[in-house]
Amino acid sequence: MNTRQALTGIFATATVIIVGWQVGAVALGQGAASSTSSTATTTSNPASGLKSGTYTGSNEQTQFGDVQVEITVANGTITDVKTVVLTGNEGRSDQINSQAAPILRSEVLSSQSANVASVSGATYTSDAYLTSLQSALDKAKG
Amino acid sequence: MRHVFDSMGTTISVELDGTADDAARVEQIFHGFDRRFSLYRDDSELSRIAAGRLDLVDSSDALREAYALALEWRTATGGVFTPHRPDGVIDLNGVVKALAIERSGQSLGSDWIVNAGGDILISGADRVVGIADPVDRAALLCSIVLTGRRRAMATSGSAERGDHIWGRSPEFAQATVVADDIITADVLATAIIAGGSATLDDVTAQFDVDVLTVDRDGQLRATPGIRTALATGQPDSEQAEA
Repeated sequence: MNTRQALTGIFATATVIIVGWQVGAVALGQGAASSTSSTATTTSNPASGLKSGTYTGSNEQTQFGDVQVEITVANGTITDVKTVVLTGNEGRSDQINSQAAPILRSEVLSSQSANVASVSGATYTSDAYLTSLQSALDKAKG
Repeated sequence: MRHVFDSMGTTISVELDGTADDAARVEQIFHGFDRRFSLYRDDSELSRIAAGRLDLVDSSDALREAYALALEWRTATGGVFTPHRPDGVIDLNGVVKALAIERSGQSLGSDWIVNAGGDILISGADRVVGIADPVDRAALLCSIVLTGRRRAMATSGSAERGDHIWGRSPEFAQATVVADDIITADVLATAIIAGGSATLDDVTAQFDVDVLTVDRDGQLRATPGIRTALATGQPDSEQAEA
């Protein structure tokens, strides 16, 4: 009996920890909105929501060398995600830190502004210019 | 003042803190490059080389310098960007517009914007510039603050007019590169459209640039620098409850 109770207790504790990890992972996934490695979840405070601070994930071996993900949390949301390369040469760490990652349209759409000074786009012909945003801008600011 | 004119088959708009003479000088710079490098003009120096009426060794310093620059970029991009058409003709379209933008900037004072067919170079105050949506060119995809050393933005599209992109079935509908100078931005935007995601990875690894791409399905990819340069215009006041 004593042995059985002890084992049950251990399993219950393990379950709490696993659930806690999953809760933490979900929260992080929503906040990061990018394809960041899930190693960030392993050492952040799992069960207690997101506390402000900077958290570093465990080492993960990748083609770029050993990598850690570092997240910064402020007021319950992730404000920054960095990939820290622990080993490997300079070029490789540049590569992983500068890579183009998927970004949601909604993330960039919120940046639309009526106050643009100029508009960049694929090269237009002089005819196509007439219907372009740049043309409207040139007319408006005449 | 603002001056809008046509050259190189596209439209150039210049906004500057200067006189009509300054604006006219910029226009002449563009026309000068066009007269020398256009393959749409039979009498241009480059057309005469293409037709075998002029040897490269007898060409002007300006032409050979532009060709040398294009060859350097061919090397730097592993051949993805190239000044050679499949039929062997030297086509310097890929660098000439950027060269004209750069030269125009050198002729101007401290506060100006040159936008040549969607490629932008600024000087002076920070500027918010929009990126056109490749699906709906009357709409903006987003806007970016050009600030600090980041003064140049170029966008290439796979439906783009002109012959200087010869890749096969492009992965990206549009690629925008933000760089410190317009030649780097323009060449690398062209290269990413031509070379696809492999070139995108090479470019972001090798060069100090920021990139925003739109793929054929409308999905976006951005480097970290693009995220931070997005012009939000909104203070970060609303924080989610933890």
